[in-house]
Amino acid sequence: MLLKRSLDEKLFLQLKEKMSQGLLPQWVITDPDIYQLEMENIFERTWQFLGHETELKHNGDYVTRWLGRDPVLLVRNNNGEIKAFLNSCSHRGTQLCTADRGNKKAFTCPYHGWTYNNDGDLIGVVADNRVFGGEMDKSDWGLRPIPKVDSYQGMIFGCLDENAESLDDYLGDMKWYLDMLLGRSDGGMEVIGLPQRWVAKANWKSTTENFAADPYHVQTTHRSTVELGISPSDPFYAGYGHQVVCDNGHGINVITSKTGKARVKYQSMPEEMWPMFEKNLTPEQNDIMSKVTVFVGGVYPNLSFVSPIHGTEGHLHNYLNFRLWRPVGPEKVEVWCWFFIDKLAPEEYKKAAYKGYLGSFGPSGTLEQDDTETWARIVEVSGGSMMRNKELSYNNVSNYLMGHNRVEPDSSFPGPGTAYPTTYLDALAKSMHEKWLEYISRDLLVGEER
Amino acid sequence: MSTPLRNHVTPDIYFEITTFLHQESYYLDHKQFKEWLELFTDDVDYRMPLRETVEGGLSAQTIATDSSYLEETKVSLKTRVNRLYTKSAWVENPTTRQRHFISNIIVEPTESPDEWKVKSYFLFKRSRASTHELEELFGERHDIIRNIDGEWKIASRIIYPDQTVITTMNMSMFL
Repeated sequence: MLLKRSLDEKLFLQLKEKMSQGLLPQWVITDPDIYQLEMENIFERTWQFLGHETELKHNGDYVTRWLGRDPVLLVRNNNGEIKAFLNSCSHRGTQLCTADRGNKKAFTCPYHGWTYNNDGDLIGVVADNRVFGGEMDKSDWGLRPIPKVDSYQGMIFGCLDENAESLDDYLGDMKWYLDMLLGRSDGGMEVIGLPQRWVAKANWKSTTENFAADPYHVQTTHRSTVELGISPSDPFYAGYGHQVVCDNGHGINVITSKTGKARVKYQSMPEEMWPMFEKNLTPEQNDIMSKVTVFVGGVYPNLSFVSPIHGTEGHLHNYLNFRLWRPVGPEKVEVWCWFFIDKLAPEEYKKAAYKGYLGSFGPSGTLEQDDTETWARIVEVSGGSMMRNKELSYNNVSNYLMGHNRVEPDSSFPGPGTAYPTTYLDALAKSMHEKWLEYISRDLLVGEER
Repeated sequence: MSTPLRNHVTPDIYFEITTFLHQESYYLDHKQFKEWLELFTDDVDYRMPLRETVEGGLSAQTIATDSSYLEETKVSLKTRVNRLYTKSAWVENPTTRQRHFISNIIVEPTESPDEWKVKSYFLFKRSRASTHELEELFGERHDIIRNIDGEWKIASRIIYPDQTVITTMNMSMFL
């Protein structure tokens, strides 16, 4: 009840009004009540990424993951089907498995020894009938399944809300772009190794927006690569191309070049793979893929991706990096960072691309190191009274005016969604904010919806 | 671990190698990264795999063989070093304060008379801007240290972190 009093309908209407003007009140970034609403209304109700099918190659393989605050055991059962359960023993709630990955047929809780198979069935209770009596039906006490689990292009998503729309509907027109990123090769993409994990001092909204919707930061945050002669000195270099706003807060930036022509064809993927891309993609997707320099974007709420061209010791490589921003408090994000490459790429290419990835993104990547600094700087000042002022007496609003009411969509762009002819634009960030407000206010703005 | 007597490492060698590792840390903690880079052979193999939690108790292999934070050559290390000397490597501008505490050094001979297998523990601490949080990373390093015409060089380094989730906000440091 306290929560509803500190965040009332009036405040949400004010947020909506400011956001429509391209302004985001700064108090929302790390406000603890907002965070609580985000957990309940976003992270407990939307589809989020759990893992890729290639992380579970064999029957019995498992990985442990999280859906917001909920621990997840993701397994491939003995029939090869992927299942997701709450990673918690049904007896007393203990976290069932603490390993990051492995392969086994049964999971035994270390507390009282209850044992489950990889279909989640309770198959063993210590002393069984002698202590529980014959009336306890083991089928009532299996692992609790994650309400919804589905996959698209090998990407496994889970959702804690059984009434949520289907994954297909949730991804909507973003699927066209995921098809390009994940479906260009026969056999698709594979994950190499484990995701790297680290804890950043950041709010999840800042990191998702920074990654998915903000090529404008590249010219300053990553200027060191310009100084080193690795990136072009033209300050617009990350701005050429299209920013595409898709349904549900998803979107992608298709960064090309000043001329719109390919800097390197098919992002430097081996030439022998090009006919395969052409075969698997539509002519429109193929045209985009052949010319793009960088794809960068996100699936709302907390999955982002980048597919760049990166040079390592004179050789150019492409790879696909997906990252999940798991909020662990208003000022803390646990980052999960996966390396993807075409299953059919030559082994040597995969190795070199992996090195290119380590050199650029992830905790040790030279580009991402500098991002962590800016994320932290947002959090470090966001608790101040001027920024937290809800009457907005101090112009304490963040500026999302780039292209606001000025840049018109480019109807000639062949992909779905609303495409704008530049990526130096706040259209996608604003669309993410709109989705965010829609989610967090859905029980509060009941009156208005009627 | 057993060290047969015939593989005796002299106190002189041990002293020289430990002094060398302390000198290395001094360079890092005093932002002399170019001098630091010179301590590596041109064919250096510098890597840092991921630690993982796996079942299997004490005998479990907890170092991932398929995932890394770093897989560097001298050339890629040089790019990382040069970047820190630019004006816009924000992670070190303003610069952080850091210390590498290197301890528990074990030196073993190899089949080559000029190369030693050197294990050491590291504790890395970092202070950034005016923040109260102190960052740390710890683990061990397995080096091959080579004597080339009287000069010591690191020919190979594998860094094993002890955490499965890194709690420093980035990994811009060299270890």
